[in-house]
Amino acid sequence: MGWLSELGRRLWMLWHGRQFDADLEEEIRLHLELREQDQMQAGLPPTEARHRALRQFGNEMSLREKSHMEWGWQWLEHLLQDVNYGLRAMLRSPGITLVALLSLALGIGANTAIFSLIDAVMLRSLPVKEPARLVLVGDGSDCCVSDYFPNQILYSYPFYREMQKKNQVFSDFAAVFSMMSRVHGSVEGRTEAEPLNVQLVSGTYFSTLGVQAYAGRTLTDEDDRIPDGNPVAVVSYRWWTRSLARDPSVLNRKVKIGSTIYTIVGVGPREFFGTKVGESPDLWISLSMQKELPPYFDGYGNNLIESLYLIGRLKSAVNMTEATANANLVYQQILHGFPDAPLNQENLEKLKATRIELTRMATGLSELRTHFSEPLKILLVIVALVLLIACANIANLLLARSTARARELAVRQALGAGRARLIRQLLTESLVLALAGGAMGLAFEAGASHLLLRLASIGADPLALDVSMNARLFFFALGVTVVTALLFGTIPAFCATKVQLTESLKEGRGITGAGAKSSLARSLVVTQIAFSMLLLVGAGLFLHSLVNLTSVDAGFNREHVLRLQTDATSLGYKEGVRLTQLYQQVEERVRALPGVRAASYSLFTFNEGSWNNPVSVEGYVSADSHRDVHHNVVGIDYFAVMGIPLSAGRGFRPQDTATSPKVAVISETMARTMFPPGSPVGHRYSRGSDKDIEVIGVVGDVKVNSLQEAPQPVDYYPYPQQAQMLNDFEVRYSGSLDAVISAVRKGIHDVDPHLPISNVTTLNEQVGRSIADQRLVAQLSTFFGLLAVFLSCIGIYGVMSYVVTKRTNEIGIRMALGAQRTGVLWIVLREILMLTATGVAIGVPIALAADRLVSNMLFGLKPGDPITLVCATSVLLVVATIAGYLPARRASRVDPMVALRYE
Amino acid sequence: MHRDEIPPGTLYLLILKTLARSGEMHGYEIANAIQRTSDDVLQVEEGSLYPALQRMLIKGWVRAHWGVTPGNRRARYYQLTAAGRTQLELELSQFERVIGAITRVIQMA
Repeated sequence: MGWLSELGRRLWMLWHGRQFDADLEEEIRLHLELREQDQMQAGLPPTEARHRALRQFGNEMSLREKSHMEWGWQWLEHLLQDVNYGLRAMLRSPGITLVALLSLALGIGANTAIFSLIDAVMLRSLPVKEPARLVLVGDGSDCCVSDYFPNQILYSYPFYREMQKKNQVFSDFAAVFSMMSRVHGSVEGRTEAEPLNVQLVSGTYFSTLGVQAYAGRTLTDEDDRIPDGNPVAVVSYRWWTRSLARDPSVLNRKVKIGSTIYTIVGVGPREFFGTKVGESPDLWISLSMQKELPPYFDGYGNNLIESLYLIGRLKSAVNMTEATANANLVYQQILHGFPDAPLNQENLEKLKATRIELTRMATGLSELRTHFSEPLKILLVIVALVLLIACANIANLLLARSTARARELAVRQALGAGRARLIRQLLTESLVLALAGGAMGLAFEAGASHLLLRLASIGADPLALDVSMNARLFFFALGVTVVTALLFGTIPAFCATKVQLTESLKEGRGITGAGAKSSLARSLVVTQIAFSMLLLVGAGLFLHSLVNLTSVDAGFNREHVLRLQTDATSLGYKEGVRLTQLYQQVEERVRALPGVRAASYSLFTFNEGSWNNPVSVEGYVSADSHRDVHHNVVGIDYFAVMGIPLSAGRGFRPQDTATSPKVAVISETMARTMFPPGSPVGHRYSRGSDKDIEVIGVVGDVKVNSLQEAPQPVDYYPYPQQAQMLNDFEVRYSGSLDAVISAVRKGIHDVDPHLPISNVTTLNEQVGRSIADQRLVAQLSTFFGLLAVFLSCIGIYGVMSYVVTKRTNEIGIRMALGAQRTGVLWIVLREILMLTATGVAIGVPIALAADRLVSNMLFGLKPGDPITLVCATSVLLVVATIAGYLPARRASRVDPMVALRYE
Repeated sequence: MHRDEIPPGTLYLLILKTLARSGEMHGYEIANAIQRTSDDVLQVEEGSLYPALQRMLIKGWVRAHWGVTPGNRRARYYQLTAAGRTQLELELSQFERVIGAITRVIQMA
């Protein structure tokens, strides 16, 4: 406690500094006077007495200072002085300060904004108990529903129960459905249905994560025991706020989804968003209810329908190696033990060779990570380079200013200021500048990170990511700010204090070291140009790649197609005739609307996942027979809506009904690679238990999930023959989109006034979203590339202005000796071009090397794309010339008489 | 008259001891007391008393209050605290250990 009260006394002193000084002075005065009196009483004359008293006392000034220093605050006092001085210096040249502050704010803000996304997507731990002990069985690289055997990524519900029982390494074990169900439901007492994101989880989910309810209770294992038996739901804090306005009697309320009414038993904690980064479920419902919840999965009792991710919490003494070994042992036991497992020779061998992995999931699951890890890292490098360029600018500004201050610094050194003290002061000034810029940057960051989120959204909903300020972000920004200050402050501070005293004091102008300084300034400019070159080349490559992507032929005509989703399942429709009739009625009603050319339901359009497995063609085996075929289920008009050309046979007709022979239309790639040579029309194939499917037509290839993919085998079934929930509805229209949207909405509601409609957009927009990551990188890299060039221009302008001012004399002499104005102009411009060319020459090899690092982000480009290189070089040369033209012109206008007299 | 500089580091000890003996004193009195008790042998550069007193205030060895001198002048009076007494004992025993050791070395010769 001693140090604490000591600190208290020190602080008291800091607070009462003035009184302290006065007290000390009075004390010393008393001392001197008493001593003087004593001496006089001893018989000394007054002057002598006074002198002796002073002599005996010692150096009063230095003793007072020493007393002051005992309290240990001089560092703070110096700091405050320096800060004060720094602020005044900033205000003295407001123009320079403004430019510096803006580029810093932009640089630091951009870095922090990108980092906030990296933090949210890649770094932040789940808000659960001891996230480091959570592991995922498998690697989470696949999703949805599968019947593949043996599956290493998705697992069936019975498998989950068996593993929960048999494993010896997890203290808690939970299952979570591998996709969120986007359904519609209504709060009891309301007529309007609202979209709801429901996450099916095992009853052990919350206890495994160690998450306590904010209100009420979480789900328990008991809720998850009886199929369809226990309709209860835990709602998210967000949804409770959004939809129920934090109704305190939330636990009495009910939500109706489909034909089931769920009782709300609890509200999740505020920060809890589940286990998948970027998604935020509104409701958590136990897996035992899956058959009652649209789209009515029926996997609760099925050993071989795999749809779950399994999450375990490691026991405290167990490490990953032990856990993996045990998980694999149990995995083999369970799959061998299922009586209905398809254990033929081939599968037995596959099973024997299968090893499952465990993945740490402290940071949660995320598809975003696969999409955005690389783009975000690239963007962070880009914004870091921009910040470096900004730093070089500020360093140049400070360098120029320090030249102007050379006299001041020389005087101060002559008066006895130590060089270290001066450097410290200059660095403090830099820090003040950087901190001011950093603070502005943080304000800027808040807006920028939300803009980034919108740009990065792949799906229809904006990403549910929390990018608000947190401690990690703050320290990142602070760290960047301090490093920035050191980067731009150090060199000028050292240069500025390295002065030959006598030289500087003798002469106001013609400062020594100016030559060294301007060569330093020049090399800073060259560095800026090299970095700008790198950024411009990057921006050019990403842009070019984006253009290539958007001009890819998707196989369908993406213009003039409206698409939306209806959710019949939420109204309690089940697969069957009623549903087929609903689809047909909606199609018919909409088709009759003015401005509508064609309308069709389908299972998928583009980039919506897929339903795929292999098929076998009767009497034919090819090298591609094992390939997965992507299946789609569509209405009669589908090919007309999508503009997919029919190349052989026929499309679907009303005569293709549930009772007529099964038919399919296949894609050209499927026809070419999986069927015997010649027309496939009339051939039959089977898919699992569906046998005797007759090929009636061939259509052009389409992109299924991404614009980059190679042609895929695809087949299409008419929906009357294929019991499936279809949500996608597409309309080919002409004329105004808005008019068509409202007409189509009305048309659908004429058929069923309660049918929820969501995700209204265009096919074009949907295709655009599939390349959101590439677009994000292209847009931002272009923006930052141009910003870099702009900053470099300021740098060039600044340095050349400085150089011209320094050479006014020389130019004056040259002109007096007969040099032409154009000649002088050329001298300056030549220097600018030399600097730019050097920068470009340095930048090109770096750009080529970096190019290779990002090559898998690029589409349809060879590394070192020459068009990009040429464009970047010309842009730099042109803008550098423009930036340098003003100082060059000023040089050419120098009046020789004025210049010479000036000396 | 020749006066000896006090050995470095013993100033605190001298102040502590002086205050311990006489209760409360102001700076000038302390300086005089040290000189007088040492029979004018020890010479304190009088000013250096004040930084030392500041340090002792921070450390909490002494406390100070403003009072009035017999000559009716305002003066800051210093007085030992409990911590100061402990410190005095500590410094004394340390001083004796060092002096003892030095004496032994000298007498060996």
